Amino acid sequence: MDILSSLLVVAFAGLIHASFQLSTSVLTTLGGHAFSARKSHARIVGLTSSFVFGAGLMTVLLVSCAAFVIASAFGTTIPLYAWSIASGVLFGVGVAVWLFYYRKGEGTRLWIPRSLALYLSDRTKVTKISGEAFGLGLVSVLSEIIFIVGPIVIGALVLVQLPAQWQLLGVLIYTVISLLSLIIVWALIGSGHTLTGVQKWREQNKGFLQFAAGSGLLVLGFFIFVQEVVTASVGGI
Amino acid sequence: MGLAVDIVKRGGERASESFMQEKLHASIVAACLSVRTPIGQAESIARSVTETVMSWLADKPEVTSYDLRRVAAGHLHTHHPDAAYLYQQHKIMM
Repeated sequence: MDILSSLLVVAFAGLIHASFQLSTSVLTTLGGHAFSARKSHARIVGLTSSFVFGAGLMTVLLVSCAAFVIASAFGTTIPLYAWSIASGVLFGVGVAVWLFYYRKGEGTRLWIPRSLALYLSDRTKVTKISGEAFGLGLVSVLSEIIFIVGPIVIGALVLVQLPAQWQLLGVLIYTVISLLSLIIVWALIGSGHTLTGVQKWREQNKGFLQFAAGSGLLVLGFFIFVQEVVTASVGGI
Repeated sequence: MGLAVDIVKRGGERASESFMQEKLHASIVAACLSVRTPIGQAESIARSVTETVMSWLADKPEVTSYDLRRVAAGHLHTHHPDAAYLYQQHKIMM
């Protein structure tokens, strides 16, 4: 793949990452608790900003870590079986997201362990300083690792083949795009909007979000498989 | 201080606790504040809803926390639909 195509693949992977909703749920809950506690607007902006920064930092770390491991294992030439495995992971996670990303019933409960959801909910409730919000942002991204591992790995596989300066740009592109949903909620909170509209939209459109995320994973997996595995195999014949 | 009503928590997975009017009042105030309702209005709404819920509880020895929240949200909806919506969404957002 050329540089532009690689960056577009990374951007698309980041967009799929952005469609997952755990961090958005945590941020929405954090905003609600901050409003309930009658914190000043500056404090609320500080808390939400720290959360978004924490989520962004964890995303950078995960992508960089994945790229480092891949580069250490394979160098800049990725073998066909690695692409095949990555495509397979995307197909599997995509189907899993289609089937059970959101739990049935009202609200936007996700298919993560209930103990983890309760832990995040309880921690969000007692978050009072920016440092805690930062840590919450770190943890919220990590808690959804099972769903975001696909886009992260694909992003890393593509990035390691690029020159160094384009790798840094690629990581930045992935991170910024993956934070889009958080940035939107952050902007809404900071500009004085209530959270009801945000949560109502998420609940009413959770089916679409689930379908979009799963479809995105399948499309990306199919593209990578054709681009890297089939093309290379046909070319080798 | 409150009625002698037991609140069954999380389908019986956690120990029951006695109904506390102050706790219900505070939760409704919090829901109103979360949608940027002025504190005075939030307190007024909470008093009204709490009184109505307590009337509902008067002849019941035991209710589940789910039912308590459902009834409270229903009464809150007549005062502040947005607050009632977020009140119902408590713990089903993630």
